[in-house]
Amino acid sequence: MTATTSAPPSRPQVLARTAREKTPMTKKRREALAAYAFLAPDVLGLLIFVAVPMVLAFGVAFFKVDGFGNYQYVGLANYKLMGSDDQLWASLKITGIYVVAFVPIAFVVSFALAMLVRNHFKGIGWVRSAFFLPNVVSLVVVGLIWQFLLVDKRGAISNLLAPLGLGDVSFLGTPSLALGTYVVISVWFLMGYQMLVFLAGLKDVPKELEDAAEIDGASAWQRFRYVIWPLLRPTSFFIVVNSTIGAVTGLQAFDLVYVLTKGGPARATSTVVLYIYEQAFTFNNMGYAAALTTVVVGILVLCTGLMFAFTRGGRFDED
Amino acid sequence: MSATPFPARQVSRRSVLRGGLGALAASAVAGPLLTACGGDDAGGGNGKEMSFWNFYGPADDNGPQSKWFVSLAEQWNANNDVKVKLRYIPGKDYLSGTTLQTAFQSGQGPDIFLISPGDFLRYYNGGVLQDLSSALPAESKADYLPGLLEARSVDGKIYGLPMEIEPLAMYYSEAAFEKAGLSEADLPKTWDQTLAVAQKLTGDKRNGVMFETLPGYYQNFTWYPFLWQGDGTPIKDGKVAFDSPAAVQALKFWQDTIKNKVAPRKALGDGGGDVVSNLGSGAVAMQQSGIWAVSDLRTKAKNFKYGIIPHPTPDGGKPATDLGGWAFVANSKGKNPEAAAKFITWALGSTDAEGIERQRQWNTVVKTNVPPRKSVQQAADAKGAFAEGALKKFVSEIAPTGKPEPRFPPEVYQPIADAIQACQLNGADPGKAAADAAQKIDTFLKTYQGAPIT
Repeated sequence: MTATTSAPPSRPQVLARTAREKTPMTKKRREALAAYAFLAPDVLGLLIFVAVPMVLAFGVAFFKVDGFGNYQYVGLANYKLMGSDDQLWASLKITGIYVVAFVPIAFVVSFALAMLVRNHFKGIGWVRSAFFLPNVVSLVVVGLIWQFLLVDKRGAISNLLAPLGLGDVSFLGTPSLALGTYVVISVWFLMGYQMLVFLAGLKDVPKELEDAAEIDGASAWQRFRYVIWPLLRPTSFFIVVNSTIGAVTGLQAFDLVYVLTKGGPARATSTVVLYIYEQAFTFNNMGYAAALTTVVVGILVLCTGLMFAFTRGGRFDED
Repeated sequence: MSATPFPARQVSRRSVLRGGLGALAASAVAGPLLTACGGDDAGGGNGKEMSFWNFYGPADDNGPQSKWFVSLAEQWNANNDVKVKLRYIPGKDYLSGTTLQTAFQSGQGPDIFLISPGDFLRYYNGGVLQDLSSALPAESKADYLPGLLEARSVDGKIYGLPMEIEPLAMYYSEAAFEKAGLSEADLPKTWDQTLAVAQKLTGDKRNGVMFETLPGYYQNFTWYPFLWQGDGTPIKDGKVAFDSPAAVQALKFWQDTIKNKVAPRKALGDGGGDVVSNLGSGAVAMQQSGIWAVSDLRTKAKNFKYGIIPHPTPDGGKPATDLGGWAFVANSKGKNPEAAAKFITWALGSTDAEGIERQRQWNTVVKTNVPPRKSVQQAADAKGAFAEGALKKFVSEIAPTGKPEPRFPPEVYQPIADAIQACQLNGADPGKAAADAAQKIDTFLKTYQGAPIT
């Protein structure tokens, strides 16, 4: 075979080739078009109900909004006000404590459950369903169920604790206990969902690696520490980020508090999201509430960004 | 066939912008469509139809209160060109949800709606309340009990017509008293007696006395009588007056009920006003609640035996109660505020036989209230509505000691709510809590420019 050299293609040749190349692209384009069409309802929904309101909220933060359609441009006044707003800082502190308590506890409990139901045994479907069950119930209903269980003196939990001399404890009516009670209820509610995510992660851990480690004499703990745990890092990262965001702005930070204690007793459960709600709908300070929202979003973006940076997106030391 | 049916494609900045603009354009189109999907229940109306948002009817249970509202709209619609269309909003959403607020913010507020004293100034200062004075005949005005219209007026103009008076009292369970070996002679008249009697009534499964524990407008409403008993008030002559011995002793009284472990830290059911779930279930032996509880007990706990007493007083104090009650108001920015004002004055202020009977039905048949108008009270008296039992006591003994519920804006209500909560449930020093609240109220009053608060 001899090498042949050819002259550069002329312009008509290029156009002809481009036309020929376009023919197989048509199908791809059609597929892409179909994909976009399928995505469109979701994208449109997210744009209208999430992205656009989010952008508008950033805009509203620069206005004094009285709740009756009147807007007055105030520049950064809403942000300056935050410095002297004691209740805001108290609410941020409460949310911070809630996050610091809830995220690790929910992580450990759901991970333990995932390990517990990882291997097949008789009735595993039922057990997994039972753990997941709280998550399918509306959080408002969850709140009402726990309100019923935690009734002072007469609730099921008071009856259980009565032999220990604790039948008189009011879990939702005592400031020092109320936030901890929310942590327990939130963990109970979300553990099933997080367990499923961990189970999915565990499925991706190759059995061969565990077997090889076992043959090499690794103990159960060593197999967990050096095989399972490192391979689960991306899943763990997802859980931590997801539950942190959920703990600050999720349903459990508002719905549950709103249903059970409305921020009481004595402001002990006044989370920052509830405080923003109060500012918007009790005080009609919608501009200030919008400004608070942007700050909370900023804090969350910063925290999530730091988590991504320190863990390389959950992959830690991977290349 | 390609191995990857959806090959990864570089997304250029231009394509993102193009997509974004397309989506924004789509959202601009979808916006009005979504608004249109809101249906004709939305506020605003078309000038020939007035929306009336309320938390009574038409409700799914089609109960007597719902029927009263439905019938009211039907009667009006039968004789008027501008029709009324009711929209029912469940109570919890109406009271502490977002429906009303978001509607007003977007200029879609209802033409007619219900308002509590606690919300009056918020809406008045927002410029959305219609003056009803010109639509209200002098005869109707004179028919209202003293102070009621004034509480909903600014500069002599009336902005709301009260539909009811709801005084507060202490309810007690006869069975609980009997079980504790107590009789009617032991019913407390003073705060000290209340604590002592409550101690005797408290057991493993029951608390002796109960006041609202959930923070909110309602808790403040129920606490004010104890403040007034010592001649206290949050604001006097436009200046803060909350840091007073009266406030301190009232805060301490509620705190003592918790400290002495004779009151629950959390109420059952719908909270402190829910007598059926608390007193009726046996969870408490004495409970503060309003006149509405008489009809609640009548319908939901027929066989429950109870009595009422006025609020116990502090040493040297005077009897006092809070006269709550909702009012009809019209939206001045609605499509037909004049017609809305006419409807309200017809519905609640008519002095003809039909109007009086309509009010009698609302206040003494489908609900238990003290009627806000003299003629309605007389008509109800003639039917024996207040001849005996709890209602007699409410009308003859308790309501005369009452003051209309204050119309404090949220900036005044919140510091008081925080003081009550901190003392009642967190053991705070009442003196310091009152001083802190007073300071916050004072800061607010210095820049407040709305209608007079008191």
